[in-house]
Amino acid sequence: MIEIARNVDPDYRAQFEAVPTADPRMETLRQLLVSREISELSRVTHLLNEPEQLAAAVGDVLPGAAARAPHSQLGEALAPAVERAVQRSIQKSPRTLTDILYPVFLPAIRKSIGEKIDQTFQSLNETLRHIFTWHGLKWRLEAWRTGASFSEVVLKHSLVYRVEHAFLIHRNSGLLIAHVTADNATSEDPQLISSMLSAIQDFVKDSFNEKEQSGLDTIRFGDLRLWSEVGPSATLVSVIRGNPPEELHEIVRDVLLRIHEGSSQALVDFDGDSSQLAGVEAQLQTCVELKQEGSNAGFPWLVAASALLLLSLAGGWFFLSWQSGQRWQTYVSRLETEPGIIVAEQHVSGGQFYIAGLRDPLAADPQSLLSGTEVDPAQVHSQWQFYQSLEPEFVLKRLTASLAPPETVRLSIVNDRIIAEGEAPESWIDRARVAAQQLSAGGPVFDISGVRDVSPEVREAERWQAYVSRLETQLGIVVAEQKIRDGQFYIAGLRDPLGTDPQSLLSGTQVDPARVHSQWQFYQSLEPEFVLKRLTASLYPPDTVRLSIVNDRIVAEGEAPDTWIDRARAAARQLSAGGPEFDISKVRDVSPEARAAEHWQYYVSRLEAQPGIIVAQQTVRGGHFYISGLRDPLAADPQALLSGTKVDPARVHSQWQFYQSLDPKFVVKRLTASLTPPKSVQLSIIQGRIVVVGEAPANWINRARAAAEQLSADGVVLDVSQLRELDLVELNHLRQAIQTTDIFFSSGKVVPGPEQMPVLDRLADQIKEFAQSARKSGVTARFMLTGHSDATGRETANASISAARAEAVRALLNKRGVAPELLLVRGAGTFEPAVPENSQAGSSTNRRVSITVNLD
Amino acid sequence: MLQKKICMVGGFAVGKTSLVRRFVQSIFSETYLTTVGVKIDKKSVALPDKTVDLILWDLAGEDDIGSFRVSYVRGATGLVLVVDGTRAATLAVALTLRERVEAEFGAMPFVLLFNKSDLADRWAISDGEINELRQRGWQIYLTSALSGEQVDDAFRQLALMVTK
Ligand SMILES: Nc1nc2c(ncn2[C@@H]2O[C@H](COP(=O)(O)OP(=O)(O)OP(=O)(O)O)[C@@H](O)[C@H]2O)c(=O)[nH]1
Ligand SMILES: [Mg+2]
Repeated sequence: MIEIARNVDPDYRAQFEAVPTADPRMETLRQLLVSREISELSRVTHLLNEPEQLAAAVGDVLPGAAARAPHSQLGEALAPAVERAVQRSIQKSPRTLTDILYPVFLPAIRKSIGEKIDQTFQSLNETLRHIFTWHGLKWRLEAWRTGASFSEVVLKHSLVYRVEHAFLIHRNSGLLIAHVTADNATSEDPQLISSMLSAIQDFVKDSFNEKEQSGLDTIRFGDLRLWSEVGPSATLVSVIRGNPPEELHEIVRDVLLRIHEGSSQALVDFDGDSSQLAGVEAQLQTCVELKQEGSNAGFPWLVAASALLLLSLAGGWFFLSWQSGQRWQTYVSRLETEPGIIVAEQHVSGGQFYIAGLRDPLAADPQSLLSGTEVDPAQVHSQWQFYQSLEPEFVLKRLTASLAPPETVRLSIVNDRIIAEGEAPESWIDRARVAAQQLSAGGPVFDISGVRDVSPEVREAERWQAYVSRLETQLGIVVAEQKIRDGQFYIAGLRDPLGTDPQSLLSGTQVDPARVHSQWQFYQSLEPEFVLKRLTASLYPPDTVRLSIVNDRIVAEGEAPDTWIDRARAAARQLSAGGPEFDISKVRDVSPEARAAEHWQYYVSRLEAQPGIIVAQQTVRGGHFYISGLRDPLAADPQALLSGTKVDPARVHSQWQFYQSLDPKFVVKRLTASLTPPKSVQLSIIQGRIVVVGEAPANWINRARAAAEQLSADGVVLDVSQLRELDLVELNHLRQAIQTTDIFFSSGKVVPGPEQMPVLDRLADQIKEFAQSARKSGVTARFMLTGHSDATGRETANASISAARAEAVRALLNKRGVAPELLLVRGAGTFEPAVPENSQAGSSTNRRVSITVNLD
Repeated sequence: MLQKKICMVGGFAVGKTSLVRRFVQSIFSETYLTTVGVKIDKKSVALPDKTVDLILWDLAGEDDIGSFRVSYVRGATGLVLVVDGTRAATLAVALTLRERVEAEFGAMPFVLLFNKSDLADRWAISDGEINELRQRGWQIYLTSALSGEQVDDAFRQLALMVTK
């Protein structure tokens, strides 16, 4: 035993050193009894002493040991070490851990962030509402007791919702498999709803190229939410009123899962016959029993915690996108409240906003609603399908467009019903009735019971009465009697000839004039207005007299010759019997001479105001008028100005000297006449200076400069500095072509030979083209044909030959359609040879007609 | 509850919507409002041995086959192919649309409607042509959404075909 101990532990060996070992029998015995154990022990000892081997050995058994250890203890024992390890790892390189967790958490985080934010805002609102209420206190207590955050507790208690419907829809065909309703919830035909929902899903899928599996998640209509959970064969759509918690998704998903498990084959085989799937209704029923009380399920702490971790990492980025998301949400909720717009789906991804839905063509344009929201339109991708909204306002608009109600009918909306009131012909009422029937399928009620059928006779009689009462209010018309018989209208009475013609009052009343039979007796109305009219017609008051009515009296004011005053007095006496008073006391007597002198003065002042006319002196003597002065020939004619002044021309004696006015207006007129500026030039007067602007041919510019110089001596400024030389660039090569053309002649001949005819043809075309283009630019092109001769023969003969050649070419060009007035002719004899005249070639080259182009 | 999804397929303005309205609501209107996307209606048809709810998907008419949204036809059990008898070209459109649907979802029962039969003076399809199509065993009806002629017969026939 001692030996064993000695071998196992070195300390023991030392302790038992004193024991004698020399006994060989002992040794043998020992060999026999425990040699195997000894070697085993020494191997184990060795193992324990060698750290590397020990590590290898423990490594072999560690997984098994850990698995077998009691979990709670192992966890507790490992926790600090693992925590430290993770800490270290993060300190060293946070990336590694993030990379590891990324695929696990990303989907969950994405979803949670949205939900968390939603919830946080919900809770914030609610907290504010509940903070001072009795509930508020109770909830604070609960938060303190359970250790949950106050907002969490508030959230839990303030989510109020109810699942009102659950639709199980066959995914493939959109047909309804089953539908259950909460107590006292109502809906339209569930079969139709089911198909429409799947049509919307198809539409969204098509529009956004969504993948097959992902369906439309949520649709909101105001207070209602449609949540759809997509399963392999069927979609479960729950219609929820209120504010459901996100956990509800889980519950609904679970129901769908169980339905698929229970009836998977029947779902796959579904061909529209739902009797095979009668059992699922009971399962659906569990969905509609869900209400607020069912929402106590636990809050997903783990997910939320990871979400918050990432949230803080992504802090800055998140705030920005959150802000734009908020703006986006504001826009979306604005759209949602907009009548005639249904937002089917919207989401934000990668900083881009996607929205899809339905809109009535008559509704507001979603694009235009963007303005003012601070949402960048470039980031918005919308897909709108047109649909016809059945909201009463839209139906009203459409009805107004399609039925074109007559003016007598008024359409309005009362309690979501469209009401037509008024009067209309029978044909219109029939059309309205058809429209009302069509609408009855799903649309608002169109109530036309308030529209009275008016027979044409009644309508006509009403119009006639309107006409008669109009006549009765008319001054100078007295209606004695009127009646309607057999569709004909009869009226009789008195009328003043100066009053309105009853016939003319018919227009605009829609009474048929052909059926009106009137009998009017003329009478003289003594109402002041009529008397005034009659006086004006009979007395012809001069312009200086004004007649007016003051307190039923007729008053004349102003100046008149005594003859007129006498006539007026006579009229006033006649009137006094029964008629209104005619007061002429305010009319002054004017002598004809004074009147004539006034007229003359008016004429003179008119002349003095005239530019280009200077009145030197004028007098009135013995009833005659004398005037003298200067006038520019371009100024108005003083004689012509007499007309309309009431000055008798026979008594006017004028003496006018012509002079050239330096008034810029006159200078411009003179310049225009003398310089004939091309169209491309404009003369205008700017602050007393004459400014010439535009483009003109060089020689016109020269003439304008000369004129400017002359004028400057008279103190008139003619500014030609802004004139530019007309640059007919596009014509330059044509001009070149024309000017380098020569027509050649045989010796002694004045008519070019037949070989020159093609040259002449081409030349004629070029000249015509040039002349036309120049005219378009406002200038006239002229072509100088210069004839030349060679030096043989006498000089006088040569001179006339050269002129004759130019004439011949002019005639030939004229024959080819060139206007003769564009062609100038000149003979140069031998004085302008093209080449020196000392060879055969020289002579034949010089016998020619050359052409130069001038512009003016 | 027995339901079948039926799609109205055909060119532009051939009268698909009008036929559905005639069949479902027994009314007709001259005014033309083109269908955008899809419109869904329902009508129960009583057959000798059962009643079937036809869920009628009235698709927007497309003369351009490329823009036809074939995905709306998924899950349908029958087609109503509509041709405007006064426009010969709409026959080719209807037939091409049917081929397109069959390529996507396989063969399915259909009835072929030559609509607007009340417009006899503008009729543009020869009897020979119609007979030739009948030879193929197709169910063909000359319908009028205006007068209602043959409309019920056509839908009833399709109801029989899809419930067999
Ligand atoms: N005379 C006559 N007109 C018809 C008939 N059926 C339809 N119409 C007219 O044809 C036009 C088009 O009818 P819709 O029913 O709107 O045609 P649709 O095929 O639905 O057209 P889309 O929706 O644009 O593809 C309308 O003006 C109808 O009044 C018919 O049987 N006879
Ligand atoms: Mg249509």
